[in-house]
Amino acid sequence: MSDEFRDQENRPDPDALLALASRSRKGRLTIFLGAAPGVGKTFAMLSRARIRQMAGTDIVVGLVETHGRAETEALVEGLEILPRKTLEYKGRSLEEFDLDAALARKPAILIVDELAHSNLGESRHPKRYQDVEELLASGIDVWTALNIQHLESLSDIVSQITGVQVREIVPDRVLKQADDVILIDLPPEELLARLREGKVYVPANAARATESFFRLGNLTALRELALRRTADRVDDEMVDFLKQNAIEGPWRTSERLLVCVGPDELSEKVVMTASHLSSGLNAPWLVVCLERADQVDEDPQRQARVDDTLRLAERLGGETRRLYGRDFVEELLKVARKEHITQIVIGAPRRSSLQRLFRRSLADELLNRLGGLGLHFVTEDKPSGRRSFDLFKRFGSRRVGLTPRQYATALLVTVAATAAGRAIIEVVALPNVSMLFLLAVLVAALREGYLTALLASVLSALAYNFFFIPPIGTLTIAAPHEVFAFIIFIVATLLAGGIASRLHKQALLSARRAAQTQTLYEVSSKLAGTLDREAIVWTAVSQLNSTIQRPVALLAPVDGQLELQSSWPPDTELGVAELTAARFAYEKGEVAGSGTGTLPNAKLQFRPLRGPSGTLAVCGYAPDAEGLDPTEEHALAAILDQVTIALDRSALTVKSVEQSARLENERFRSALLSSISHDLRTPLATITGAVTSLKEFGDRMPEESRRDLLISIEEEGERLSRFVGNLLDMTRIESGAVEPKRDWVDVGEVVLSSVERAKRLAPGIDISASVAQDLPLIRADSVLLGQVLFNLIDNACKHGGGEPVTVYAKIEGQAVAVSVTDLGKGIPEKDLDRVFEKFYRRSKKTDGRKPGTGLGLSIAKGFVEAMGGSIQVESPAVRRRGTRFTVRFAVEASANDMPVAKGRQVV
Amino acid sequence: MSGQRVLIVDDEQQILRFLKPALSAAGYDVIEAMTGEKALASAATASPELIILDLGLPDMDGKEVIQRLRSWTRVPIIVLSARDRETEKIAALDLGADDYLEKPFGIGELTARIRAALRHNQSETAASATITSGNLTIDLARRLVTKSGETVRLTPKEYDLLVLLGRHAGRVMTHGMLLKQVWGPAHEHDLQYLRVFIRQIRAKIEENEAAPQIILTEPGVGYRFMSEAGL
Repeated sequence: MSDEFRDQENRPDPDALLALASRSRKGRLTIFLGAAPGVGKTFAMLSRARIRQMAGTDIVVGLVETHGRAETEALVEGLEILPRKTLEYKGRSLEEFDLDAALARKPAILIVDELAHSNLGESRHPKRYQDVEELLASGIDVWTALNIQHLESLSDIVSQITGVQVREIVPDRVLKQADDVILIDLPPEELLARLREGKVYVPANAARATESFFRLGNLTALRELALRRTADRVDDEMVDFLKQNAIEGPWRTSERLLVCVGPDELSEKVVMTASHLSSGLNAPWLVVCLERADQVDEDPQRQARVDDTLRLAERLGGETRRLYGRDFVEELLKVARKEHITQIVIGAPRRSSLQRLFRRSLADELLNRLGGLGLHFVTEDKPSGRRSFDLFKRFGSRRVGLTPRQYATALLVTVAATAAGRAIIEVVALPNVSMLFLLAVLVAALREGYLTALLASVLSALAYNFFFIPPIGTLTIAAPHEVFAFIIFIVATLLAGGIASRLHKQALLSARRAAQTQTLYEVSSKLAGTLDREAIVWTAVSQLNSTIQRPVALLAPVDGQLELQSSWPPDTELGVAELTAARFAYEKGEVAGSGTGTLPNAKLQFRPLRGPSGTLAVCGYAPDAEGLDPTEEHALAAILDQVTIALDRSALTVKSVEQSARLENERFRSALLSSISHDLRTPLATITGAVTSLKEFGDRMPEESRRDLLISIEEEGERLSRFVGNLLDMTRIESGAVEPKRDWVDVGEVVLSSVERAKRLAPGIDISASVAQDLPLIRADSVLLGQVLFNLIDNACKHGGGEPVTVYAKIEGQAVAVSVTDLGKGIPEKDLDRVFEKFYRRSKKTDGRKPGTGLGLSIAKGFVEAMGGSIQVESPAVRRRGTRFTVRFAVEASANDMPVAKGRQVV
Repeated sequence: MSGQRVLIVDDEQQILRFLKPALSAAGYDVIEAMTGEKALASAATASPELIILDLGLPDMDGKEVIQRLRSWTRVPIIVLSARDRETEKIAALDLGADDYLEKPFGIGELTARIRAALRHNQSETAASATITSGNLTIDLARRLVTKSGETVRLTPKEYDLLVLLGRHAGRVMTHGMLLKQVWGPAHEHDLQYLRVFIRQIRAKIEENEAAPQIILTEPGVGYRFMSEAGL
């Protein structure tokens, strides 16, 4: 509808193509439309199904009522039929269409008979057409059957024609959105003949209703409705076709309707009338609801009526909008100009001639100021006589009744004014006393509003007359000039009260709006300050709860499963119905649960929070009987928008952090790979080079060179073997395959042998070791411990800058500690934590490669921990330079009984 | 024993340890440098006739060394690199290195490359009027290509490409170099042109297309024109 409204220029419509594209993603809906039961819709549907089945289409019968007719049953045979779902309903066991089975089966075409059917019991949707919409949304084509009398916009006409109230109703949009409508037509005489032959199914308990329904006149009227509806549709399709193919022509609908509604009872009728008018004229219609910009209608009943009216209009295919303004006529004319409206439809309540004299109705105003537009008045059904009664009702609904507090205020200000007046009457003139009463009325108006002011002014007038105007003590007035003064007094109080109360009301209103803005501001600034998802969820729930004063729950997906993230009250537990509704809202991106068409028996209503990348979360709240008032509704929507943005931002942040971590990881891996390949390749290159040199030029080389080449081959072979050994050790540690022996080990002995080994590899470096006397034995694996110490000493030699390396073994409390200290540059503090990381290396060459394998220290740590010891690093170790690694092993109690090792000194 | 002077630039002690005696035994006068700066200094003062350069140096990028050398000398440079550093290798060749060798390598291969580079350097200075490879002769003056005495018909582009390769016989020409010089800078990355033309040229000049002897493929890097069998 809105597309048609936007299409103002005389040109082909790009939106029409878009609409077509979005339609093609969904399943196609084919409706077999009939004027009455018995025209043969099911039969036609099944016959077609047989043909399609033979052509190889995957067509399945979801549900078909054959009503025991043999010819229909024969058609069903051979088609795949979905089993029905059995439900318990009011103690009876009933069969229903199984929606979930159909969604799971996912055929190309599914047949679901009786579109207007109301589902029973605890079904997901109260109406079958909602089931069908879900099927279509999941991409399944649906064939279904519908009788014209079930169309919502026709229900009142049908009941007028046939005298039968239609209970099962399908919104007009369903028919409008159907991709194909196939009209099944049968002349009424033939239908009646079939009825007489018993070929039309008639429920046993509805025989009388049927009798009044199946009359020639009724059937002819219904047939006309069905034919006309189909013709309208065909016309629409032609217009669509012309638009899509950019064919200029007389297709532009010239008529556009503007429909004005309000909170009055007449509005519903206005909408119905406009709907008929629009389908007759084939014109788009825009329904506007007028609201005063400077006033908020606080009556929930009136608001609910407006909501209902607008919903009805939407169901009937109208576009709706709310208008705010002071001058309604001006607003209406503005919209009419903007939307190229040609006709206006408005309700004209019956008014007495007296009313007409005093106040002009909106209809009159429009009539006066309207230029060149058609105007339709819709009048009330019932003749007048009710109007005056209605006036009371109107007052009643506006809560004319005062609260005790307001009565008390009116009384109090009057009494106060009277008392003050009595006190000063001796010294001031009478007119001055009237000022006191004026003040009293103003106070009442400002504090409690117009009605209180009205009461106060009446009371004041009486009191003024009784206590002050001679003759005092009576309600009569002696002097004629006093009468004039008294009248002026009354008028002044009334006017002042009115003005003051309006001011008061507007102040209240602004305060309320300011509070709302404040809340929203708070929410958005709180949300803007955080990227943490949990904090966002918590803020959202607490703010929502404080704004709408109802239980609130927020659900979001965790690993694909929708889970309750936060709620208020905090210990809310969601039942199966609630969770199902929440999941529905999440998956379909539609509102579900209480107060909606989907799973209305859930206690909460769930709204999806839809971000640019899909539904991010679902917010549930408990809409009590009254529902949300418009203010709350606006606040809720605004807060949910903010939460959606915040959640989306948080999700994006998480993604970008993950992304950069992945990138970092990738960089690390490629650096790792390159360094491993370098470490493997250099010794291999040396060996290959040396061997080929010997082979090629050995006979031309001096003996000395040949020997050196052989030694280099040996050394590089060893180097390679060490590196491979390290890689294997690392793999063993990582896979947890290190199983250290727990022998009694003399630490001093291991230290000395490791130092010896290291000295052979680093001949130029001064390595000294000192082992404390009486060092107890420890439980460890001497081979692993040897490897640990060797790695530490080797590391110290590599990074010690050629300075001496010292190794100490001593007792520290209940532990044996071995430390290896170098006097190199030391390690920057920020890298201290990383030295035990695999493949971490300190200095760096220009091509990104670093010396050493980067495995020694991590292997040392792995082995020490496998043996139950600990390892620490400190830097700087000595006078602002150097690094010290210390390995500690606890001394077991029984070790004290063991023979102790003797101290040794090696330099 | 030509006694030609070769400068080896490598910071890995072990590599120098076998290269030095091997190349000395092969008759070269070997000098060595372990850093980029020292290499540049030696190249200027000792005027080597060939430089063997490892790209991974402690003080500067090997590519920078090539760049700075090429600013004043045409001395042949053979680059030593690892197999996984493809782009580095191509960049080195594009900057003016003559050849490359992947580690690990046999000494025989290195000496063959050294010989080819040295010879090529001399032939280039001679600027001869014909290029030959096996029974293929390219007469530059007459723009005539003959194979076993028979004329080979080449399109102008094919001829340009063949001559470009032939003029740099023994050297690796990277894809980028060939594309830029034959098709222009805009087509530097249009590798498919090159693949098609090389196939066409091979079909016309090679005895056996499947085992080319004249234009060899250097996988992932470029092509090499062989001016004599076995480099």
